Amino acid sequence: MAPRVDLQTLLEEALGTSNVYFQPPASVQIQYPCIVYARDNAITQFADDRPYSYTKRYQATVIDRNPDSLIPDKIAALPMSIFDRYFSADNLHHDVFKLYF
Amino acid sequence: MTTLAWDQTGDRVYETGVDHGVLYIPDNTGAYINGYAWNGLTTITESPSGAEANPQYADNIKYLNLYSAEQFGGTIEAFTYPDEWAQCDGSATPEPGVAIGQQPRHTFGLCYRTKVGNDLTGAEYGYKLHLIYGATAAPSEKAYATVNDSPEALAFSWAITTIPVDVPGYKPTASLTIDSTKVDATALAALEDFLYGTVGSDPSLPSPTDVLALFAGTITTVTPTMPTFNSGTHTITIPAVTGVTYKILGEVATAGAVVITQDTVVTAVPNTGYKFPAIVDRDWFYDYV
Repeated sequence: MAPRVDLQTLLEEALGTSNVYFQPPASVQIQYPCIVYARDNAITQFADDRPYSYTKRYQATVIDRNPDSLIPDKIAALPMSIFDRYFSADNLHHDVFKLYF
Repeated sequence: MTTLAWDQTGDRVYETGVDHGVLYIPDNTGAYINGYAWNGLTTITESPSGAEANPQYADNIKYLNLYSAEQFGGTIEAFTYPDEWAQCDGSATPEPGVAIGQQPRHTFGLCYRTKVGNDLTGAEYGYKLHLIYGATAAPSEKAYATVNDSPEALAFSWAITTIPVDVPGYKPTASLTIDSTKVDATALAALEDFLYGTVGSDPSLPSPTDVLALFAGTITTVTPTMPTFNSGTHTITIPAVTGVTYKILGEVATAGAVVITQDTVVTAVPNTGYKFPAIVDRDWFYDYV
């Protein structure tokens, strides 16, 4: 289980800017394009009568005004990442991914 | 007279779980004196076979059944394995980290623990220790698969067969089970000192005879005597101590003088029916200068 700050760095590298927000409060002024991500779930494997491995899952949403943005492609290429859904709101395009890290 | 009753409070016993796996590699004499913790144990399936009825007919009736010998086998499933398992899985390691496959498979012993629960105290009611002797693992499949969107560790699985060992007064067996809810706690603690090791002794798998002696209260505690060493003549004098066997490089050393030609470690092991105290010096290093 890697520390979350490593995921932050990974997402910033994929985005090319530091507009990566972890569970941002409503008061934060979001800059686009950006990635907003949050803890979503976790998977536990058991051995020796106890949890043996524990991996957290995050929901990462790429938000961009450009409908042909290449940023979602970069997030989709990350290990243990899978595309979940797409939606558009307020003229912003949202690509939602689930990824274990 | 007693009237039978079912499912009374405290009688609703069940078994669950598996942990505390230990792999034991026998030395040249067949003694399981080296134990290694087995992490990531997920499932152990006991699959005894044999004992099949072979009906015999006479006088136009089924006259009797003859039964084939019963054998103990099973399956070990785990996320990982101790390094020492390689020799049991047909690998040789000529250099650290380099494994050569399709080599002879070393026999091994195994110990694992399962929980015993009941309706009053849950799964902490007690436990069973399972001791396996003379086991050999069959070649097994390892299905390495791509990392995908769901993190899953590769689950290893090995089928094992066994060769039974002698038990005085009983048929040879490859498996023993000790129930902590029924045996003497002191004897159980002594057995666990053998199985898991102590500050002064390495983990080892006692033979079925030793295990039975432990619980019968007939095992004797003996303290090994340190061999003497004459550095001038490079001679180790192995003492004669009842209940103690001395070994040099895994080979039994008889009492008396042994001239060494290199740095040497002498190890003492208890004989059948004997045990060492929990804290005792049982191996000695002699510097060949």
